[in-house]
Amino acid sequence: MPYTLWFDRAGKEALTLVGGKNASLGELIRAGIPVPPGFSVTTDAYLEFIIGSLKDRIEKILSHIDLQDMTSLEEASGVIRKVMAQTPFSQKMEEEIASNYEALAKVFDTPDLPVAVRSSATAEDLPGASFAGQQDTFLWIQGIEDVLEKIRHCMSSLFTPRAISYRVKMGFPHEKVLISVGVQKIVDARAAGVMFTLNPLNGDPSKVVIEGNWGLGETVVAGLCNPDKFVVDKVTMVVDKEISLKGVECIFDGRSREVVHADIPPDRREIQCIEDQEILELARYARKIEDYYGCPQDIEWAIDKQKPFPFNIFMVQSRPETVWSQKRKEPVLGKKSVYELLMEKALSSVKIET
Amino acid sequence: MVEKKGFPMPLEIEYPKELQGWEEMYPPTYMFSKERQEWEEKHFWFHDKIHAPEAMYPLDLIFQEAWQISLSQYTTRVFCIPPAQGIAQRMVGCYMYITPVASPPPEIIGEKAALFGKRVFYIFDHYDELWGIWLKKFRALGEEMESIKVPKEFPKFEPDDTVLPEPKGYYTSFEVIEAWDRLVNLMIKGWQYHFQYLNLAYLAYLMFSDICRKLFPGLSESVIGKLVAGAYVQMFRPEEELCRLARLAAAVPEVAKILKSDISPDKKFESLRKTAEGNDWLVEYEKSKDPWFYVSCGSGWFHYEGSWTTKLEIPFGYLKSYVERVERGEKIERDLPAIDKARAELAEEYKKLIKTDEDRKAFDDTYKAVRTIYKYAEDHLFWVEHWFHTIWFDKVREFGRLFVKSGILKDVNDIYLFNRFEVPNLIEDMATTWALGEGVPSGAKYWQAKAEKRKKILEAAKKWNPIPALGTPPEEIAEPFTIMLWGITTDRVKEWMKGAAIAPADVTELKGFASSAGVVEGKVRVVKLLEEITKVEQGDILVCPTTNPAWAPIFTKIKASITDIGGLTSHAAIVCREYGVPSVTGTGIATSVLKTGDTVKVDGNTGIVKILKRA
Repeated sequence: MPYTLWFDRAGKEALTLVGGKNASLGELIRAGIPVPPGFSVTTDAYLEFIIGSLKDRIEKILSHIDLQDMTSLEEASGVIRKVMAQTPFSQKMEEEIASNYEALAKVFDTPDLPVAVRSSATAEDLPGASFAGQQDTFLWIQGIEDVLEKIRHCMSSLFTPRAISYRVKMGFPHEKVLISVGVQKIVDARAAGVMFTLNPLNGDPSKVVIEGNWGLGETVVAGLCNPDKFVVDKVTMVVDKEISLKGVECIFDGRSREVVHADIPPDRREIQCIEDQEILELARYARKIEDYYGCPQDIEWAIDKQKPFPFNIFMVQSRPETVWSQKRKEPVLGKKSVYELLMEKALSSVKIET
Repeated sequence: MVEKKGFPMPLEIEYPKELQGWEEMYPPTYMFSKERQEWEEKHFWFHDKIHAPEAMYPLDLIFQEAWQISLSQYTTRVFCIPPAQGIAQRMVGCYMYITPVASPPPEIIGEKAALFGKRVFYIFDHYDELWGIWLKKFRALGEEMESIKVPKEFPKFEPDDTVLPEPKGYYTSFEVIEAWDRLVNLMIKGWQYHFQYLNLAYLAYLMFSDICRKLFPGLSESVIGKLVAGAYVQMFRPEEELCRLARLAAAVPEVAKILKSDISPDKKFESLRKTAEGNDWLVEYEKSKDPWFYVSCGSGWFHYEGSWTTKLEIPFGYLKSYVERVERGEKIERDLPAIDKARAELAEEYKKLIKTDEDRKAFDDTYKAVRTIYKYAEDHLFWVEHWFHTIWFDKVREFGRLFVKSGILKDVNDIYLFNRFEVPNLIEDMATTWALGEGVPSGAKYWQAKAEKRKKILEAAKKWNPIPALGTPPEEIAEPFTIMLWGITTDRVKEWMKGAAIAPADVTELKGFASSAGVVEGKVRVVKLLEEITKVEQGDILVCPTTNPAWAPIFTKIKASITDIGGLTSHAAIVCREYGVPSVTGTGIATSVLKTGDTVKVDGNTGIVKILKRA
């Protein structure tokens, strides 16, 4: 019953232990993709936490709720999450997490190494279940105390009002829906963003579409800015660029010691946020990841401020693209012979709009 | 500033007064007219910069007359492409304008569809053997034209052997009349052959392009062109033959020395004939010459372009630089197997990205079909526009000489100032005057005055900048050439509207086909007349109405090319892709908007040309 598992030890076979996000990081590492190192706090750890320490209290609180009454649901959620935040892990669990965090810090020779703490749900493949811990990403967490606190916070995300009401409605026992938490070295990003291994606008499978902004990737993921957009042809590697006016970036503020949104200085606003060679390298990784999974992917990436190219490029997340992948199982052209296609073309005309 | 939206109507055009009298140079049906005004105003007429970028000499119009009939009939009456009709031509102040004729009524479309299915699929299945038959037939036609005998002069008296023992019955007068008629008929017939498979080749290309776009909506135009265009294209043979001759010469120091020297081609021939090695090389040269040096120095459409057999300084200039490059150890040949392999790999890579077996099969089948028949679009070009036209120009020159010798015209090339229906008038005058005997005046003064006047009109027309289009833009186009060759799209029409409304100096950006990938900045060299090609310098961005393969060696010099007209498989597009030179084709207005010395940014990925700095 491990409380923790290093990313590189747990791939898709360990999904029930480490959740979807963490398992996919494990898979990426196996595929030879650069991923910032880290570890999962397993669903076993979660189970021990809520069953070993909190089961009775949680059940008692939930027995009073009325699903129709939003206020009561919110109250119950608030109480449970507060309890979870205040209840310490078992000593053994806390020690194991602490020792992993220290080991990670030692690799980079940085005490209180900044990490990202994210929830990683096991139930994301359930229909409509993608609520689980979606917003729960904590960036730039330093020191074991903070790390533990954020892990508890992520775990408690299974007790948001929506999550509770969903489980009750669907008849899932609370202890059967589990969550894992990932603790990962953060990339001190010069620029970051997302990319798709097809063009999400038209489903074109011959393109990688990269969107990026200065700073951490959050502004792109959350849609807080107009990112730069690069459409790369997978075969010719020709890049089509759309450089945007970028207003705000997400950075770590040394003074307040937290991640803040900051105005991008005018001299960087209209500058391409990643270099040409980085665009191509990202597109190569996109192809490699898609080939590894055998289906189109939606990937988060970051470019380190300090490291030299190409060692500065990291993937921090990959999940299957769903919209076009469903459609693409059907033939686009239908089952037509060359003659039928030729006749179709011969009968067609080109519209001119003026 | 033009206030109203759209283009002027044909009869509204105002011509500079220097052009007065231009109408009489061309057949009357080429004029916009009151009688056909309603039909004409409903159509969209654009300046055909591919075939007629410059002011049109009356006799050079014969090729246009021939294709108007031939191209159109294959679409309307032979292969019957259902909703498409022919392309009509008109002259506007010495420039040719064309329009795709509006679609026929629905019942005709239905009838044509049945014929199309019956006739066209067969051609696709049998193209390879049909091409062999076509080439044999076409070469025989060219040889027939070459065999036409044009009398060198009208004899004072017909020789004895034409009278005794049995009078021949017809004499020089008839021989000249007949020779001209045969020459014209063979040219028209050659152009009937020209379109034998061309409409279908274009249609196949458009079909494949559609399929690529359905599978990969963002696939660039230049990639589709690259997938289809062939490496083993006969149009590249002249250059390949030069490479072969350069290598042979480089292996023999005496020969190489002569070819590298700065003496005239004639002097080079003289020197080569003096040694055994030189003569050996000349034997090889002769082998290449017919047919491969029957290549025009331009597009093949104009008498003044000349060919590699008449403007020897062109091939010998190339030979000099090739020999020098061989001696420096450089590779001068295009690496054909590598180009072929790269294309096969490109197709394979895209195929791998297709998700279902059905789509992969459709891609494979249509790709195979287009690769088979599209060869025609590339191969016919050498045989018709170059080889056949070169023979024509040689023959017409013989008539020109006869006119000069008979005192009808002053200059050999003045024959081109008369259209093909007028030349028989000159011949008749010449023959009649001869037949009437001594001391009879001909109409020479009349013809010569006409020639002088027409020269002046043409000079004035060259300085006139005709607007890109007239009439009413269509709602849709089904005619394959209009879409693919002339590249008429919504964007193009809008671009022309802009060009018609904005003064050229105010334009900041041009849009065309993204024909060859890559982005470069540099200085522009506008080449409107073919003679100016020699002014192109290393690193220039070539701006021209349209380019053609005989210019191939120029593409190693330039940084990018921009043309007014031409789609993805236009000559500029093919050659630029092979040399890795960015290219934007079909901008419609590049030569009128850009000036030599302007700094521009050419984006061959998006088809956009930005004007960065005016000269």
